[in-house]
Amino acid sequence: MLNVQLCQLRLNKLNPLQALILFFSITLLTPTTVTAASENEFADDSWDEIVAAAKGGEVNWFMWGGSDDINRYVSDFVGGLLKKRYDITLNRVGINDTVEAVNLVLGEKEAGNTDSGSVDLIWINGENFRSMKQGDMAFCGYLDAMPNNALIDWENDSIANDFGVPVDGCEVPWSKAQFAFAYDEKRTDTPPTTIAALIDWVTKNPGRFTYPAPPDFSGSVFVRHVFYHAAGGVKNLLVDFDQALFDEVAAKTWQILNDMKPALWRAGRTYPQSITQLDQMFANSEVDITFSYDPSSVGLKIENGSYPATTKGFVMTDGTIGNTSYTLIPFNSPNKAAAIVLQNLLTSDEAQYQKALPEVWGTMPAIDLSRISDEYKDKFNTLERHPSVVSEAELAEVALPELQSSWITAIEEGWKENVAR
Amino acid sequence: MHTLREGRLKTDMTTSVHRTQSSRQTPAPVLLAFALMIIWLVLPLVPIVVWSFAKRWFFPDLVPGEWSLQAWQYLFSPVSGLGKAISASLAIAIPVTLLSCCIGIPAGRALACYNFRGKRAVQLLVLAPVLVPGIAVITGLHGIMLNLELNNQLAGVIVAHLIPALPYMILVMASTFARFDTEFEAQARTLGANTFQVFTRVTLPAILPGIVIGALFTFLVSWSQYILTLIVGGGRVVTLPLLLFNFVSAGRNDVAGALGVIFILPGLIILIAVARFISGRSGIAELPSRL
Repeated sequence: MLNVQLCQLRLNKLNPLQALILFFSITLLTPTTVTAASENEFADDSWDEIVAAAKGGEVNWFMWGGSDDINRYVSDFVGGLLKKRYDITLNRVGINDTVEAVNLVLGEKEAGNTDSGSVDLIWINGENFRSMKQGDMAFCGYLDAMPNNALIDWENDSIANDFGVPVDGCEVPWSKAQFAFAYDEKRTDTPPTTIAALIDWVTKNPGRFTYPAPPDFSGSVFVRHVFYHAAGGVKNLLVDFDQALFDEVAAKTWQILNDMKPALWRAGRTYPQSITQLDQMFANSEVDITFSYDPSSVGLKIENGSYPATTKGFVMTDGTIGNTSYTLIPFNSPNKAAAIVLQNLLTSDEAQYQKALPEVWGTMPAIDLSRISDEYKDKFNTLERHPSVVSEAELAEVALPELQSSWITAIEEGWKENVAR
Repeated sequence: MHTLREGRLKTDMTTSVHRTQSSRQTPAPVLLAFALMIIWLVLPLVPIVVWSFAKRWFFPDLVPGEWSLQAWQYLFSPVSGLGKAISASLAIAIPVTLLSCCIGIPAGRALACYNFRGKRAVQLLVLAPVLVPGIAVITGLHGIMLNLELNNQLAGVIVAHLIPALPYMILVMASTFARFDTEFEAQARTLGANTFQVFTRVTLPAILPGIVIGALFTFLVSWSQYILTLIVGGGRVVTLPLLLFNFVSAGRNDVAGALGVIFILPGLIILIAVARFISGRSGIAELPSRL
C-alpha cells in the first residue's frame, strides 16, 4: 500500500526538495514496508503459523475496566486459557473510555510510530471504530486465517455493519447488546412498555424520570428511541443522511422532549451527565426508571449491590435498539499474531458460552449459534438468564437496528441546540 | 518561645526583633496547611471506609443494607493487579519527589533571594503547568515522549509527572526562602562554619518544614495522575489511579471505596511520620542554641 503511494508521488511531480524528502521517507519507511508485507502474510498464513508466531508473546488489550465481573472473565478465564494453550500473556489494560485507547494510537501515528505501538487490541464499536477505520489505524484483512471466523455470520447486517460503518474485515464481533430499561418492582407496579406510554407515564409521575444528556452513550440512545417513535418507525431512517427527512422527524422529536421537560427530574433544568449518575439516582430512589445498552447489566448490578434486589429489566414492545461490539487490532500493534489468536479464542463457542453465563457476565454471544458444536448448542439452549434480565427471545422480538453515525451525530447536535437550552 | 529568646540573647543582640519574629511566623501558614491537609485527608475517609464494606447502600439508609467483603476480595485477587499498581505508583512518586527536591530547592531559592533578568518570565513558566491543565498538552507530550523513546516505561512517566509536580515544589520553596534570612548563613560563616556546615546546620533546618510540605504536595500530585500515566505509560505502567478511576467512573462505590482507602494511606502515613517537622517545634527557632 505505502509503496504504491510513494511510487505515484514520484511519477507525478518531482522537484529536488520533494526528491530529497522522498529519499528520506523511503529510508525511514523501510521497516514499514516489511510490516506491510507481513500484513499480507497473515491472510495466507496457515493458522499453525500464526499460533507459532504468537507463542511466548504478549498481548495488550485496552478495554473499559469498570466492572469487576468483566475484568475477572477477561483476566482469569480468557487470560488463563491464552496462557495455557498458546503460551501468550494477556495484559488487560483498564480504561475509563475507549476513546483514550483511540487517542493513544492516534498520538503514535502522528509521531510516526508504525510498528511498535502500545495497543494490541481494543474493545470498540460505533464512533471509535469509525475514527480507527477512517484514520487508517485499523489492521484489516486477516479474518480468513482465523478458524473461528467460520462461526461469524457476516451476512447479518447487524454484524457486518458497526453503526452503519461496514466492518470490512477490520474488527471481530465479540458481544451483542440491546437497549433495555429497568424499574424497581417495589416502587412501580407496571412500567410503561411503549415510548408513547413512557411519555405519558413521565407526565403523570413528575420528577421521577430523566435521561443522561447526550452525547452520553446511553442518553443518546434514549433520544434515538424517541426519534424512532416520532418517525413512526425506523424503516425510513435506514438510509444515508437525509437533511429534509431529519428536519421533519427532529422537529417532532424536540417537541416531544421539550413537552416532557417540566415533568422530568428537576423540571429538566439539568440532566445527569452520565449513565453512571442515572444508575445511582435510580438506586437511591431519586428517579424510578433507568436503562442500559447492556441488558445483562441489571443482573450484574443486582448481584454486586449497585441496584436494589427488586429491580427488573423490561423492554418497549415497539422496539429497542441493538448493537454489536467488537475487538480491533491497531495498525501499529507489534503483537498482531498474538492478538489474532486472542480474537480467535474470544469468538470460540467455549469463551462465548462462559461470557453468557449469568454469574459471569450474561452478555449475548456475537457468533452464530447454528454453526457451533452440538455440545455448546445444548449448553446455550439450556442456559438460564438472571431472573431479572429480559429474556433473549423477548429482546430478539423487539430488536431495532442502529442508525448510521451521521444521523446519530445530527441528533446529538440537534438535542443540544433545541432541547438542552 | 523560651528557647528562642535565650538563643537570641546568646548569639546576636543586633538581630532585630522584627526579623526574628518573621522567622518565628513560619509555622503559622504551615500549621494552617497542616490543619487543612488533616481535614482533607481524614474527613473523606469515613464514608470511603464504610463504602468499602457496603453492599446495597441506598438513600436514605444511614447504614448499608448489607455488609460485604466483595470489594476487598476482588482487590486482593490477582485479577485486580493491585500489588503491581502499588509498586508502580511508589516507583514513580518517590523518584518524582526526590527529583523535585533537587530541582525545586535551588530554583525556589533563586526566585526568592536573587534578582535576575527575566525573573518574571521564569515565574510565569514555573506557574504554567499549574495554570494549563495537563490534558491540554498531553498529545504534544506523548509525541515528545515517543521521539525520546521514553514512552511505555517508568522513566517516561516519572519525567511526565515532574511537569505538574515541580511547580508545587518550586512555589513552596520560593515562599520558604522568602521568609529565610540569608544573613543567618553569613553569621554562621563568620563563626567559622564551612559551606557544608552552613547548609546542614543553618539552611536545612530552617527550610525543612518547607521541603517537607513541598515534597508532600509533589508526592500527592504524582500519586494521583491519571491521563499522563495512561498515555505516556501506554498501558504498560499501571498505577493506582488507573485502577481507581475505572471504578469511580463506573459508579462502583464499594470497589472505589476500598481502592480509595489504599490510595489515601501513603499520604496519611507520610503526613504522620513527618508531622514533627512541620509542627513548628523545630526549624530556625532552635538554630541559635545549637550554634
